[in-house]
Amino acid sequence: MSGFSDSDLSPDTVAMARAGVAEAQEAVYRAFQRPVRSLARRLVPHAPTAEDLSQDVFVEVLTSLHQYDGRGSFAGWVRSITVRKCLMHLRSPWRRGLSWVESLAPGEADGTASGGAASGGDALDLERALARLGATARAVVWLHDVEGYTHAEIGALLGGTASFSKSQLARAHARLRDLLEPDGVKTPCMPVSTSC
Amino acid sequence: MHARLDQLLSLRDGAPVSAEVRAHVDSCPACAASLARADALRTRMRALPPAPEPAADGWAAVRERVAAAREPRRARSRIGPFAAAASVGALALFAALRWLESPPPATIGSAPTVLAASEELDDLRARSRALESALAALPDRPAVERAGTSVPIESLEAQVQWLDHQLSVAGADGRGPEAQRLWRNRVEVMNSLVQLRYVEAQHVVY
Repeated sequence: MSGFSDSDLSPDTVAMARAGVAEAQEAVYRAFQRPVRSLARRLVPHAPTAEDLSQDVFVEVLTSLHQYDGRGSFAGWVRSITVRKCLMHLRSPWRRGLSWVESLAPGEADGTASGGAASGGDALDLERALARLGATARAVVWLHDVEGYTHAEIGALLGGTASFSKSQLARAHARLRDLLEPDGVKTPCMPVSTSC
Repeated sequence: MHARLDQLLSLRDGAPVSAEVRAHVDSCPACAASLARADALRTRMRALPPAPEPAADGWAAVRERVAAAREPRRARSRIGPFAAAASVGALALFAALRWLESPPPATIGSAPTVLAASEELDDLRARSRALESALAALPDRPAVERAGTSVPIESLEAQVQWLDHQLSVAGADGRGPEAQRLWRNRVEVMNSLVQLRYVEAQHVVY
């Protein structure tokens, strides 16, 4: 999980941040910097880009606090801005033009969102496998399986449909299996025969 | 026949699945194992650690950018009337150029005419999806682009991106007049984008 659920602030702090109190704004940053950066690095594996996007998220959060009406959770609002920023980046023509440059910078990105600090070999393998997915498939599998977004929500975010999200999720799982279990059993889910 | 992966994922997530598929998975060890693997993969992803603490504290940079973002707003309020006049002029120029460049009505007039006849939101969304599919079916953009098409294409892509941003702000299930206006704009921009990409692809072929 990116940890947004553990990072909610008191309504008073949010109100003070909205009023421009510097200490409250810093408290917003301190409370959410880790979940925002974690989510950004899951969706955008290139570490320097993800860090830039995280900074963009906080600039938007702190300059748009007047738009938060207090109806939903503040953490959910921050998360939605993070997701939107990252998806906009992934879909931008600018990013598509530079994607090959990002892939040529091994020193700047270790391919893992936890910076290689994953607790064990399994986690490291999984992080590397996630980083090797296509941008859309990675976003869909993370938003659905980890962040709990519905297919309808993901489809809307990506300018598509719930069906599009479902097919991307299945594709992501199939690819992760290939990457994590290269010699594993391939038969499940494939029509190898008419009966078991 | 075994269950497909998307069916197994639906089963895992508690989404509607046909009784036939459910019964098959209950009785098929291979599919049951595949379902368990999908579940285990989700558990592993959720257990991944968060990003490490950054090497440098980023708060100072954020604070400076927030302050800078507020400064131009104050400046804008002082030059507001002049900016508004300039915007009106630019819009008039843009409209005139569009009019001069307009293809025959049969081409460019078709989209708004058809849209006026059926402005249902679902219809607009379906049109948008169809245009996305048409765009995806076109070949990749050439390595060497023509300035005459690449600049407008990038401009249209940026417009689509901005509309998507506004739609995401409006909410996934927004059905009001604003959402309808945004979807209508998206269809029109996507229509132009598909036409330009098609022209670009033709140049590559020749």
